[in-house]
Amino acid sequence: MRPIRRLLIANRGEIAVRVVRACRDLGIAPLAVYAPIDAGAPHVRLADDALPLSDDAPAASYLNGALLLDLARRAEADAIHPGYGFLAENPAFAAACEAAGITFVGPPSAVLARCGDKAAARSAAASAGVSVLPGSGPVGDDEAVRQATSVGFPVLIKAVGGGGGKGIHLVRSPEELPGALRRARGEAQTAFADPRVYLERLIERARHVEVQILADAAGVVVHLGERACSVQRRHQKLIEEAPAPDLSPELREALGRAAVAVARAIGYRNAGTIEFLVDRSGFYFIEVNARIQVEHPVTESVTGVDLVAAQLRLAGGERTPVRQDDVRWTGAALECRISAEDPHSGFLPSIGRIDGVVDPSGPGIRVDSGLWVGQQVLRHYDPLLAKVIASGPTREAAITRMGRALREFLISGVDTTIPFHLWALDQPEFVQGQYDIRFADAWNGGAAPPDAERLAVLAAAAWMFHRMATPALPTDGTAPRWVAAAREEGLR
Amino acid sequence: MIFEIEIGGRSQRVEVEPSSDGLVVRAPDGDLLVRLRPLAGSEWWRLDAGGRSVSVRLRERGAELLVTLGAARTAVGIRRALPVRSRRTGAAGGDLPIEVRAPMPGLVVDVPVAAGAVVAQGAAVAIVEAMKMQMEVPAPAAGRVEEIRVRPGQEVAGGQVLVVIRP
Repeated sequence: MRPIRRLLIANRGEIAVRVVRACRDLGIAPLAVYAPIDAGAPHVRLADDALPLSDDAPAASYLNGALLLDLARRAEADAIHPGYGFLAENPAFAAACEAAGITFVGPPSAVLARCGDKAAARSAAASAGVSVLPGSGPVGDDEAVRQATSVGFPVLIKAVGGGGGKGIHLVRSPEELPGALRRARGEAQTAFADPRVYLERLIERARHVEVQILADAAGVVVHLGERACSVQRRHQKLIEEAPAPDLSPELREALGRAAVAVARAIGYRNAGTIEFLVDRSGFYFIEVNARIQVEHPVTESVTGVDLVAAQLRLAGGERTPVRQDDVRWTGAALECRISAEDPHSGFLPSIGRIDGVVDPSGPGIRVDSGLWVGQQVLRHYDPLLAKVIASGPTREAAITRMGRALREFLISGVDTTIPFHLWALDQPEFVQGQYDIRFADAWNGGAAPPDAERLAVLAAAAWMFHRMATPALPTDGTAPRWVAAAREEGLR
Repeated sequence: MIFEIEIGGRSQRVEVEPSSDGLVVRAPDGDLLVRLRPLAGSEWWRLDAGGRSVSVRLRERGAELLVTLGAARTAVGIRRALPVRSRRTGAAGGDLPIEVRAPMPGLVVDVPVAAGAVVAQGAAVAIVEAMKMQMEVPAPAAGRVEEIRVRPGQEVAGGQVLVVIRP
């Protein structure tokens, strides 16, 4: 291992920007790559150099390991940071990097393979003395039907090669199983190129709590405490926070110890996350996320440790940046994921062109964003646009600041999850820190503010007046409202 | 200018006139001075009315205007009020074929029904994938599949007709 000097960032969006920033802090030269659609993206502008990819489709761009490795070699990069998603947990890609003498910023390929096989990771955790949920190994369709009964309904179908909540399907009864298996395999195949699935018992009112760990080449593992990630929709996290609210000091310590034990059992290296479900009966290991996670900034806020810089240092052969006894937790932090989804229509992906952005800032606010005016939001990629991280001396202060920031954040051109977040921050369960993974199910479209109907009428009337009174400029043909109006008049 | 505005199933007539200080909106419940200033891009505005000042997102969807205030969104129908009544009211429903449309742009992964098949209400007639998520498109009513207009592997636009069902 040798210190990294020149790093190719094999990703896009906010995480590519985040890695560029860590490079700047460490004096590493960052190199970006970009699909045609991302030519104007911030990670392209911020990097020392940016190498074009020929196609937007993930398989031909950010998922094309052979191409990215070749680009890295030709650009004389000595390391590749995969970000999250795409190639981040792909053992074959990590192995190819190793073979080419290029440092892969993440665990070694053998560790990725062990973590990526969710069934193997479960048994490793069990062998380390950590409880796991009842479940199966990888199963075929017929076997799944037989095993589901012994695991017990309701049951979750999960992708063996999965991660990030993709390919997870909830099944409440045997009749739903075949359809759900079909969809889960389809998603698993497209997202991870591996159609294998396994079953795991669902705990109905659990909390999702995960522990951040750092492990160096000497096998020293430290944990940086937990994050609560129970605000989820379709198994996708929406809000995360640190520390987890309403957790006893004993449980917090036990989770930290369990995470370190699992990491040691797997032989983990670099930064990673050990995920658990917590309910009244205790806590259960679910999986290892062998990558930097979307929600890493909340841990950075409360510990002061730069996790992406730590990844780069660990990959360069350095020791863990802190010793366990030196880790200190201060204050509280929340993260809201701002995604191009329509929370008022079942969180369907929202596609369009961003034509205006106002970023929030101010005391206690950090924005990690990949947004730019002119950005085309496509169906190809993950809908995450940006993250707002609010921190403060207390959880209450962080929540207040988050509300302020979300109201400042204006994104024009696509629907976003901001209305959902504003609703969530107002819910008594959330404010009191007493919520579980069912919390987001209560989303009802948001309560209208007093006078909302009258304000809506006034806004619509004023907007329509401006619209009619302004001479129409040539449009791209998507919203020629005056044409429709004229036509309608002509038909009468 | 006079507009017919429909909100929450009720319709009202509103007159808007320019004034030196903004717009005067004459609604059934009185006159009000209103200002609407652009904040960001084509969709974000600041609305000042009756001593309130709020940021509001206005997004056109089809014939409606979606008005987002904080967490809540309201659909508003708005049109120039015309002296003659529209003839296109109260169209006959009956047993017209139902066009099942794609809820979003995406890739058709599967069409698990055949032409002529009888489907129950809520049964999946197509599976569309976007942003790595697959969604089943359900039949809005029970009926016979009259026509299939897409095939697996095909890219579809949001609102594109996938299959036609006759109830």
